[in-house]
Amino acid sequence: MSAAPPGVDGRIVATGLTKVFGEVKAVDGLTFTVEPGSVTGFLGPNGAGKTTTLRMILGLAAPTSGVGTISGVPYAQLPAPGRTVGAVLEATSFHPGRSARNHLRVFCAAAGLPDRRADEVLEVVGLTQQARYAVRGFSLGMRQRLGLATALLGNPRVLLLDEPANGLDPEGIVWLRSLLRHFADVDGRTVLISSHVLSEVEQTVDRVVIIARGRLIYEGKLADLEGASAGVVVRTPTPDQLATALAPLHVKVTPRADGSVAVAGSTPQAVGRAAWEAHVELHELRAGSSNLEETFLRLTADPAAPPSAGA
Amino acid sequence: MIRLLRAEWRKVTTVKLGWGMLLGAMAIAALFVVVQIASNGAARSVALPLTAASTQRSIAATASSAYLFSVVVGIILITTEFRHFTSRPTFLIEPRRGLVIIAKIVVAALVGVIYGIACAVVTAAIMIPWFAAKGITIGWIDNGVLQSLIGDIIVIAIFAVVGIGVGVLIRNQIAAVIGTLIYLFLIEPLVNIVPVVQNAYPYLPGAAAAAITGSTRGLGSSQLDALEGGLVLLAWGLLFAAGGWIFTIRRDIP
Repeated sequence: MSAAPPGVDGRIVATGLTKVFGEVKAVDGLTFTVEPGSVTGFLGPNGAGKTTTLRMILGLAAPTSGVGTISGVPYAQLPAPGRTVGAVLEATSFHPGRSARNHLRVFCAAAGLPDRRADEVLEVVGLTQQARYAVRGFSLGMRQRLGLATALLGNPRVLLLDEPANGLDPEGIVWLRSLLRHFADVDGRTVLISSHVLSEVEQTVDRVVIIARGRLIYEGKLADLEGASAGVVVRTPTPDQLATALAPLHVKVTPRADGSVAVAGSTPQAVGRAAWEAHVELHELRAGSSNLEETFLRLTADPAAPPSAGA
Repeated sequence: MIRLLRAEWRKVTTVKLGWGMLLGAMAIAALFVVVQIASNGAARSVALPLTAASTQRSIAATASSAYLFSVVVGIILITTEFRHFTSRPTFLIEPRRGLVIIAKIVVAALVGVIYGIACAVVTAAIMIPWFAAKGITIGWIDNGVLQSLIGDIIVIAIFAVVGIGVGVLIRNQIAAVIGTLIYLFLIEPLVNIVPVVQNAYPYLPGAAAAAITGSTRGLGSSQLDALEGGLVLLAWGLLFAAGGWIFTIRRDIP
């Protein structure tokens, strides 16, 4: 879909990424681009292939075919990956018996960073009080914060976070949102966050990459996806006449349970005009409430759903 | 490389397991030494008296039994990474996986040396006063006691490296530990008594370890001498280390 040149600093590009496990195509020819200076949502139901895709981009899993690059090169060829990219993958990656601070200090050593970075990132994620406790006793929300702290150690240009909001309380989600927005808007970093719940990241992301069954469903601005989803709800005593009147618009007309009619892929203006011209009596005409989550579920549930506008 | 060695060393020292297993290794060494000395001269004992060179050597060599602990520590050092997914940040920060495995092997060997020294010291600390009380001279050099103690250290250190290799090949922690113990306690002794494969026995890791320390573990097979045993065990260590290195480079990180 996107043919953006991969060499831009901080840009993540997946080109035809494919991963086959035995007979199962977990990821199937996935191509997308993630731009610096924006927060991109990587969305799909559980098992859609999100984590596998991230593992391939991060060099942990070898693609069956295709390439993933960051700043134009495969992950393993980045000069200082620990200081360029910060990533957290789904499962919490801690030894239960190690304290939060020692966990971070292990990776300070590995990345050649001074030990004080451990305390700095603990401060950023609000875990200073718990620094000396073993991770064993941490709640999921605290583990998410520690995972984020690990990703931030090297002050990276690119952040890839797998389900970062999972387990955070509402306050934590607001905190995460402002932090990620700051990274993208003020620092110009690349932020990619995955989620299986669109509403969780809806207010955080600018762009979305939606996948299902390992394939790309939609790539583009969240705003465009929303527009594409808004239908029109019409109530009329003569639905057949309305359907005839709307035929030239090539829209999909479906009766609703309450007796009204849903018109997909159009606007109240266009439907109202067509009805007026055909002298069809209308009792109600309004934009369907745009339910993003519904759109998301519809897109990811239907294998035949075409990529929507904005890509 | 120094970065990775520091990181791997910290992984060992920041959890309790390494310390607990060290105490276990020292306890098993102490127990075996005490049992051997105390039972010597008992009614049905077949061992030669404590003054005999072979007896003194054999007592000094029992500390090598602590390799059971060092091989398990080696296995756990690496399988813990896969079990708790610390493999992810580890290989994200250093994508050159071979370097990570080399750092792990070096640190495991170092841990093994520490375990070995601790066990050798425990052995000497029990032998010296006990033998002195009985008025028996320990032939450190003449009877090969010192060589046996050094052999203990080498055996315990190499088995820690073997553990890393096993853990990379069998990433499931429980399976790797149990498989290794079954091999050492069951399969290797079986090889020694089955006529067809008996000749291979001296070249197996456990038998090579016995050769290094100068204790005779099996009967009926020709034993290697200490140097040969050392080379054989080193070869096993290198084989497992190389296998671990290749496997880690080629396989996906979970």
